[in-house]
Amino acid sequence: MFEILDKKELAKNEVMYRIKAPHVAKKVQPGQFVIVRAFPTGERIPLTPANWDRDEGWIELMTFIRGKTTLRMANELKVGDSIMDIAGPLGNPTPMKKFGKILAIGLIAGIIEVYPIAKAWQKVGNDVTSIHVTPKAMAILKDEFEASVSRHIIEGFDVQPDWGMNDVSREVVRRATAKVKELLDSEHFDFVFIVGPAGGEKAVFNVVKEYGIPMEADLHSIMVDGTGMCGACRVTVGGEVKFSCIDGPGFDAYQVDWDELIHRTGFYAPMEKKAMEYYLKALKEDGGEQ
Amino acid sequence: MANKKIIKERVPTRERAPEDRIKDFEEVNQGYTFELAVKEAERCLQCPYNYAPCIKGCPVHINIPGFISKLVQHRDNPDKAVREALGVIWQCNALPATTGRVCPQEDQCEKNCVMGKLGDKINIGKLERFVADYAREHGIDEELLSEMIPNIEKKEQSVAIVGAGPAGLTAAGELARQGYRVTMFEALHEAGGVLMYGIPEFRLPKAIVEKEINKLKTLGVDIRTDHIVGRTVTVDELLNEYDAVFISSGAGTPRLVNVPGVNLNGIYTANEFLTRINLMKAYKFPEYDTPIYVGEKVVVIGAGNTAMDAARSARRFGVDVTITYRRGEEFVSAREEEVEHAKQEGIKFEFLINPVEFIGDENGKVKAVKFEKMKLLDEVDSRGKRKIQGTGEYVTLPADTVIIAIGKTPNRLIINTSDFKVERGKIVVDENMMTSVEGVFAGGDAIRGEATVILAMGDGRKAAKAIDEYLKNKSQ
Ligand SMILES: Cc1cc2nc3c(=O)[nH]c(=O)nc-3n(C[C@H](O)[C@H](O)[C@H](O)COP(=O)(O)OP(=O)(O)OC[C@H]3O[C@@H](n4cnc5c(N)ncnc54)[C@H](O)[C@@H]3O)c2cc1C
Ligand SMILES: Cc1cc2nc3c(=O)[nH]c(=O)nc-3n(C[C@H](O)[C@H](O)[C@H](O)COP(=O)(O)OP(=O)(O)OC[C@H]3O[C@@H](n4cnc5c(N)ncnc54)[C@H](O)[C@@H]3O)c2cc1C
Ligand code: SF4
Ligand code: SF4
Ligand code: FES
Repeated sequence: MFEILDKKELAKNEVMYRIKAPHVAKKVQPGQFVIVRAFPTGERIPLTPANWDRDEGWIELMTFIRGKTTLRMANELKVGDSIMDIAGPLGNPTPMKKFGKILAIGLIAGIIEVYPIAKAWQKVGNDVTSIHVTPKAMAILKDEFEASVSRHIIEGFDVQPDWGMNDVSREVVRRATAKVKELLDSEHFDFVFIVGPAGGEKAVFNVVKEYGIPMEADLHSIMVDGTGMCGACRVTVGGEVKFSCIDGPGFDAYQVDWDELIHRTGFYAPMEKKAMEYYLKALKEDGGEQ
Repeated sequence: MANKKIIKERVPTRERAPEDRIKDFEEVNQGYTFELAVKEAERCLQCPYNYAPCIKGCPVHINIPGFISKLVQHRDNPDKAVREALGVIWQCNALPATTGRVCPQEDQCEKNCVMGKLGDKINIGKLERFVADYAREHGIDEELLSEMIPNIEKKEQSVAIVGAGPAGLTAAGELARQGYRVTMFEALHEAGGVLMYGIPEFRLPKAIVEKEINKLKTLGVDIRTDHIVGRTVTVDELLNEYDAVFISSGAGTPRLVNVPGVNLNGIYTANEFLTRINLMKAYKFPEYDTPIYVGEKVVVIGAGNTAMDAARSARRFGVDVTITYRRGEEFVSAREEEVEHAKQEGIKFEFLINPVEFIGDENGKVKAVKFEKMKLLDEVDSRGKRKIQGTGEYVTLPADTVIIAIGKTPNRLIINTSDFKVERGKIVVDENMMTSVEGVFAGGDAIRGEATVILAMGDGRKAAKAIDEYLKNKSQ
């Protein structure tokens, strides 16, 4: 059981939890993630420590509320409560090499994972430009980025009242590809890094590959155990089957089978919707929040 | 034994009817009552200890006639009978409720049972299970345990155990009883290994496994779940902090069929399918959050225990299930009882077909599997199985869900992050179960590849002995 020391609403639909988890705090490196199981009936979901303190033994997780688990966490977990399980750190640390000039892109909540990596890259002597493509109301980590990289760009937009999630995604892709093209046309970059939904990652990759710049992407495959035991997270990279939890999550964008990844990450959407409806119904019956 | 009346037929255990049991995940076999257990026990010929083939067949050499005789001897006092029988079993096996249920008895203790020459073999597995179940239900195991605890002489030395499956649990129990300070590191959120995430509830209720794990806690074993050795802490770090390390991380890496389309949606490894169901309780979705997709037609590839478990779990979603296997029926490696149960439950079998392609729809979801028909050759391979060969003829089975159950290899993470000697993916140990790194021992599926629960337990026991010797020498 892992105690919640602090909880904050960072922006619309974005919540930060500071959690006592010394076993993770002691070891975690940029690029790694944890698997969280918050409730006895809960799912295991991967989340990324954005900040940590090795001496005090805490980590900070930031969640974008997008489905049942993230919503339930936001609704039900208070400071002083405990999260049942935090396993990790998992995945391979991002290589802390000197690439030169780096463009690090976070699409919506992807920026959470970009943050510790971009910060560390800048620290080891790279010149990092970060871009956050997001609805304006969901811009987070602005001050933190500005304090730790050479340049931070927020490519924000307003969400129109009649937009659904698909319209938001379309706008993210439109903005991200345009902005990346603009930057690559006017400046030289040695390396591009991206975290976001698979569709957005693929669209940006299609722009970057025109310039032939090396690019890495953190892949958001569906995970269950996160330890290499189940194969839920499998992806095809360079024609081979890889497990993104133990072989990744970072992979060479040029080698990834993007369409397969897009299909695989969307597979449970109908059931995720059902889980959400079930939860909202239960909330209503309990006369709970919402 | 002289002038003993021979009873040829086995006393049947109580089993739920197939049409009822496929509606839920409750246990299929209900075991013996005390009366039935005594009746079955009476059939045993009580072969002498040095001769008894059942003892030789059991990998941990339980004194089988010894425990069976207690049931007959104290037939008027069930508590006493079970207490004494359990005492005999515990000398060699700390998890009899589990082994009684999952051992391939037909290849082990029951294989050469003398009664087999006169009639049915003795149902050793179910008797063992009965003793364990009765003891648990009547608090007898806890009594025995609490009598043991005051006699444990606490030692200062400590041992770290990596992975809480049957090998690790057994080693932990043995070492704790020797007085060592034992800490277990388990990657998942629950201890138990395959017993928890792989073998389904209807074959091994999880409450039983939990109870076994609680016994270890009573013995003072510290179990740290959510700790992945190699990431959360390394083996080297463990060696600095503990006097010895035992690696029992199992064989959890699923093997995939190397054919086109293997990453289509709807294709699961048996591990993923079973983990979603057992560990995450996806069969109770949406009450439990973890989803699972079980389509109308399920095709399982493989015919071991894992394949049977996956197929029978899928069947419990009320769908059509077919097990496919590239060899013939005589090479099915699953326990006999499991194959029989699968057939009773209406699962179909297709032999001598080998997948060559998974066919998907436009959304990247599987819709069929193409197989090549195989034929048996007269030559045998290195494992004594008849070789097979493709015929160039194909057959396609429709499939909404495919479960790949063709085997597993030792967990990669720990091997990739340590530097002990590894051969063909398996950790190499010497005759004392020590790896190439001094003070680091290993056992179970991590050194064997996929084996059995009782072999893993046997390793755990043997390693505990070796670790005890090693630490005694070290402290001198
Ligand atoms: C390595 C990695 C790091 C991540 N870090 C963060 C983070 O720091 N902050 C954050 O908000 N999100 C992060 N995610 C995504 C996060 O796991 C999902 O937001 C979360 O699982 C959604 O759960 P839900 O029940 O709220 O939504 P659901 O309605 O269940 O799912 C919404 C979408 O999330 C994805 N998802 C669902 N279940 C899983 C799963 N078990 N594994 C992976 N993806 C899943 C799917 O694409 C799905 O369509 C990360 C994912 C990965 C793989
Ligand atoms: C579905 C299925 C059905 C089976 N049915 C039978 C049966 O009927 N009869 C039978 O005898 N055998 C059966 N087996 C085989 C049997 O379960 C295994 O041989 C046995 O569990 C091996 O025990 P173990 O302790 O070596 O490893 P496991 O049971 O695999 O346990 C290993 C544990 O180590 C943990 N771990 C792995 N890596 C790490 C790490 N880096 N750090 C920390 N922890 C780690 C894992 O999470 C796991 O909990 C079956 C196997 C499966 C998969
Ligand atoms: S442990 Fe297994 S092999 Fe040994 S007696 Fe029990 S059931 Fe038979
Ligand atoms: S071999 Fe059979 S009959 Fe003989 S002691 Fe063992 S169980 Fe009894
Ligand atoms: S999440 Fe199970 S193997 Fe990667």
